[in-house]
Amino acid sequence: MLFYVLLAAVVAIVAIFLTPERKKVWTATAITSLLAVGAIALAVYAFAVGEVKLFSFRTAIFGYEYFAVDRLSALFLVIIAIASVATLIYSRGYLAGYFGRYSSAHFSLHYTALVTMVASMMCVVLASGGFSFLFSWELMTIASFILILFEANRQETRRAALNYLVMMHIGFMFLVAGFVMLFNATHSSSFDAIEYYFKLGNPLPLFVVLFIGFGMKAGLFPMHIWLPEAHPAAPSHISAIMSGVMIKTGIYGIVRIMQAIDNDTELLYTIGLIVLLSGIVTGLWGVIFAAMQNDVKRLLAYSSIENIGVILIGLGIAAVGHAGGSDLIGMCGMCGALLHTVNHSLFKTMLFFGAGNIYSKMHTTTMNRMGGIAKHMPLTAALMAFAVAAICALPPLNGFVSELFIYIGMFNGISDGHEVLYSVAGIIALSLIGGIVVLAFTKLYGVVFLGSPRSHEVAETQEVDGCRIGAMAIPAVFILFIGLFPQYAILPIARVAEAVTASDNTMVIDHMMPTLQTMSLVSWVLIAVIVALFLLKRRAQRSRTITEGPTWGCGFTTLNTKMQYTGESFSEGLENIGKPFMKDTVDGRTIDKNEIFPTRHSYDIRHKDKVDSLLGRWWMALMHRLNEYIMRLRTGRVNSYITFALVFLVAVLVLTLLGIM
Amino acid sequence: MAIKLLNTLIMIAVALSITGVINRTRAMLAGRKGIRFFQHVMNVRLQLRKGSVYSTTTTLLFRIAPCVYLGAAMIAFLFIPVANLEPICSFHGDIVFVAYLLALSRVALILAAMDTGSSFEGMGAAREALYGALVEPALMMAMATLALFCGYSSFADIFSMAQELDTNLTIVLLLVAYVFVIIMFIEAGRVPVDDPKTHLELTMIHEVMCLDFSGIDLAMIHIAGWLKNATLAMIAANAVAVVFCFKWWFAAPLAVLGTGIAIGVVESLRARNKLSRNITYILTIVAMSALVLLIGFLLIQNIEI
Repeated sequence: MLFYVLLAAVVAIVAIFLTPERKKVWTATAITSLLAVGAIALAVYAFAVGEVKLFSFRTAIFGYEYFAVDRLSALFLVIIAIASVATLIYSRGYLAGYFGRYSSAHFSLHYTALVTMVASMMCVVLASGGFSFLFSWELMTIASFILILFEANRQETRRAALNYLVMMHIGFMFLVAGFVMLFNATHSSSFDAIEYYFKLGNPLPLFVVLFIGFGMKAGLFPMHIWLPEAHPAAPSHISAIMSGVMIKTGIYGIVRIMQAIDNDTELLYTIGLIVLLSGIVTGLWGVIFAAMQNDVKRLLAYSSIENIGVILIGLGIAAVGHAGGSDLIGMCGMCGALLHTVNHSLFKTMLFFGAGNIYSKMHTTTMNRMGGIAKHMPLTAALMAFAVAAICALPPLNGFVSELFIYIGMFNGISDGHEVLYSVAGIIALSLIGGIVVLAFTKLYGVVFLGSPRSHEVAETQEVDGCRIGAMAIPAVFILFIGLFPQYAILPIARVAEAVTASDNTMVIDHMMPTLQTMSLVSWVLIAVIVALFLLKRRAQRSRTITEGPTWGCGFTTLNTKMQYTGESFSEGLENIGKPFMKDTVDGRTIDKNEIFPTRHSYDIRHKDKVDSLLGRWWMALMHRLNEYIMRLRTGRVNSYITFALVFLVAVLVLTLLGIM
Repeated sequence: MAIKLLNTLIMIAVALSITGVINRTRAMLAGRKGIRFFQHVMNVRLQLRKGSVYSTTTTLLFRIAPCVYLGAAMIAFLFIPVANLEPICSFHGDIVFVAYLLALSRVALILAAMDTGSSFEGMGAAREALYGALVEPALMMAMATLALFCGYSSFADIFSMAQELDTNLTIVLLLVAYVFVIIMFIEAGRVPVDDPKTHLELTMIHEVMCLDFSGIDLAMIHIAGWLKNATLAMIAANAVAVVFCFKWWFAAPLAVLGTGIAIGVVESLRARNKLSRNITYILTIVAMSALVLLIGFLLIQNIEI
C-alpha cells in the first residue's frame, strides 16, 4: 500500500513539474480534486458506516499503526476538501500576476507544496496517532513553510517564514513528547490509547503537553504570535488555506483528546475549565487586536485567533456541561464548536481571497491607502460584504447558527442551575467578542471598500478574473446553506458530536429541531421583508425626484478625501481599553494642537502585541548567545575539524562500550 | 391567533407613542406648549412622500442599508410579548436571535455611514460601533438574569413563567428593568450618552450617521428607531409587570409612560456626558448587569437551599 502511495506521489510531482508554466495550476487542481473527491467519498462512507479502518502498517518506533476514518475525521476531511479545491481555483488568477517574475521551477515547487499540504492535512486527520500522525503533521508544517516562502525575495517574508518554522517546531516537540509519554505508559501511541492512559492516573501532564502542541498550531494565546506574522507574508490563497483549514488541525487534535475522556467527570471538568479559560482569553485577545490592526491581512489573522477562541469556548462549555451531567449543554456546546469550525473555514477562506483580490490590484494591504474600492471591484465588494456579515455572526448567515448553539448551551447552563458561573463567564466573553468583531469588520469593510479613495492607486483597480470570483463563491454557497437551512446542516454535525461526546443526540435533536425550523423560517421572512422593503422603496421613488450630489459636509466646502475616518481613527476608542496589552511603535508625529497652519506631517503607528516582544526578546537573546558559542568552534582550519570528528567518534565508541547507546 | 394579533397591534401602538410621550414630557418640564403628540408620525409621513438626494460617493449598499435596518428591527419586534399575550414568533433561544438582529441593524447603519465618506459620519459610525460592542455584554447578562429566574431562553416562555416567582426577586427584576431602560437610552441615542437635539455634528452619534439619508430612507430609519425602542421598552416593562400585575393592560401603558417619561425627564434635567465619559458610563452599566446577575444567582441559591 505504502508503495502505491509513494508511486502516486512521485507521479503527481513529476506531472506538476512537466506541465508548462501556465497550465500547472490545472494539473495541481486535477490532483487536488481527485484527493477531494476521494476524501468526500470516504467521509460519506464513514458517516454511513461509522469507523472504517483503511490500512495498517508497521513503523520503526511506535509499532503498528493504521489509517482510519471515523465521523470526526470525516468532518475535517470535508472541510479540507472544500477549502483546498477553492484555493487551487483561486490560485490561478492570483499567481498569474507573478508569471515572468519567477522561474517555472518556482511555480512547480509552489504547487507541489500546495498539493503536499492538502494531502498531508488529510493524512493528519486520518492517522491513528504516533509516527504516522507526527510524520503527516511535520509534512504539513514543511509544506506550508515552503508555501509562505513564495515571495522569498522579500526580507519580511523570509523572517515571517522562519519565525513560523521555529514556532511550529517548538509545538512539534511538545507533540513528540506527548506521544512518547503515551507510548511509554501504554505501549501504543494511537489516539485510542489516550483513553487508557487517562485511566492510569495523573492524566493532566499528558493533556497539557498535547494541548500546548496542538494549541501552537491553532494559535492559542500566548502561542498565537506566528499567525499575524505569517499571514501577511504568505500569498493570499495560502493565508486562506492556512487560516481556514490548517489551524483547524490543532482543533482536531484537541477534540481528539477530549473524545478520549470517558466518563471521568473530574478530569472532564478540569479539562473543560482549562479549555474554556484559554478560549476566553484567546478570543478576547484576538478580537481586541483584530480591531486595532490597520493592515487587512493582519486583521484577518487576529480574527482567526478570535474564532479559535470561540471554538474553544464551545468545547469548554461542552466539557464542563458534560461533567456536570447535562447532555444537553454538552451537545449544544460541542455542536456549536464543531459547526463554528466548519463555518470559520468557509468565511475566513472567502475573506482572505477577497484580501488577495485587493492586494493583487493595490499591491499593498495597508487599509489607510484604500477606500471606495467597491466602485471598482463590485463583485469582490459584494462577496466580501457577505463574508463580513457571516463572520460578524449576523443572522441569517452561518456564523450566527454556530454561535447560537454555544449561547443556547450556556443559557441552558444558567437556567438549569448547572455551572452558572462558567456559563456567565462564557456569555460575557462571547457577547463582548461578538460586539468587537462588529467593530473590527465594519472598520475593515468601511475603510477598504466604502467612502472615497485615500490614494491614487485605487483609481487603477479593476475587478479580478472569473476564477477568483468563482473561488469566492464556492464557500458562499455553503455559508448560505448553513445559514438558511440550519435544521439540515446540523444533522451531520450532531452525529459527529454524538461520536465525540459518546452521548445520545436524540434529545438535542428533539430540543433544537423546532428552534432551527422556526429560525430558518424567520430567516427567510427576514430576507423577504428586506427585499420587499427595497422593491417598495424603488417603486415609490420612481415617481419622486431623485437627485445626486456631494456628501453633506456640514457646511464645510473644501472637503478632501484625506479628511475621512481612517482605520486608526475608527478604532481609537478601543485603544484605551487595549492599551495595556500592546506596544505602539510610532513613526513621525501628529499635528500639534498649537499648529494653526499645519505643515506636512507623516504619521505611522503600529500596534504590536506585547506577547510578541515578551516571548520574542529572551528567545532572540538566547539564540544570539548560543550562536556566539557555536561560532567559536568554527575556526576555519581543517585540522580542528578533523579533531572534532575524532572526538565525536571516540565519544560514540566510549558510549557504546559503556552500553549507554 | 387573535391574541398574537392583539399583541402585535399593542406593540405598534407602543412604538408609535413613546416618542410622543418623550416630547410631551420635555415640553411640560420646559414650560412650553410643545408639539402635537403624533407630530413625529406626521413628520415621517411627510418624509415618505418626498424624493431623495443621494451622495455621489455612495454605492448600492447605501440604498439597501435602510431596508436592512428596518427589516431587522421589524423582525426583532415580532418576538416580544406584551405581558400575558403571545408574540407572533418565538423559539428556544430567541433572546440571542433578537440581540443579533439588533446587531445586524447596527452593522447596516454603520456601513451606510462609512459609505458616504464623510468624516462626521465616520466619527458617528466609530462611536456607534464601540458603544454597541460594549453594551452587548450588558444586554446578554440582563437576558441571562431572566433566563436564570425562569429556566427558559425565549421571551415568550420567560415572561409566562415569571409570574410564579418569589417576592424576594422583586428587587432584582426591577434592577433588570432599569438595565434594559439604560440600554434603550444607549441604543436609541438619547441623553446622557447621545443627544439627538445637539446643534453640532461633531458631538452627535446616532443622528450624525443619518445625515445623508433623506426622504423614504430617513423615514425608514425613524420607523426602525421606534420599533427598536418599543422592543427594549417592552422587555423592561414586562420585567416590572411581573412584580406588580402581569396583564397586558398594565404592561403596555407602563412601557410607554415609564420609558417615555424617564427619557423626557432625564433629557430635561441633565446634560449629555462628555464623549470621553461615555465608555465609563456604558461599562458601569455592564458592571451593574453583572452585579444584578450575581445577586439573582445568590438569591436563587438561597431559595433552593
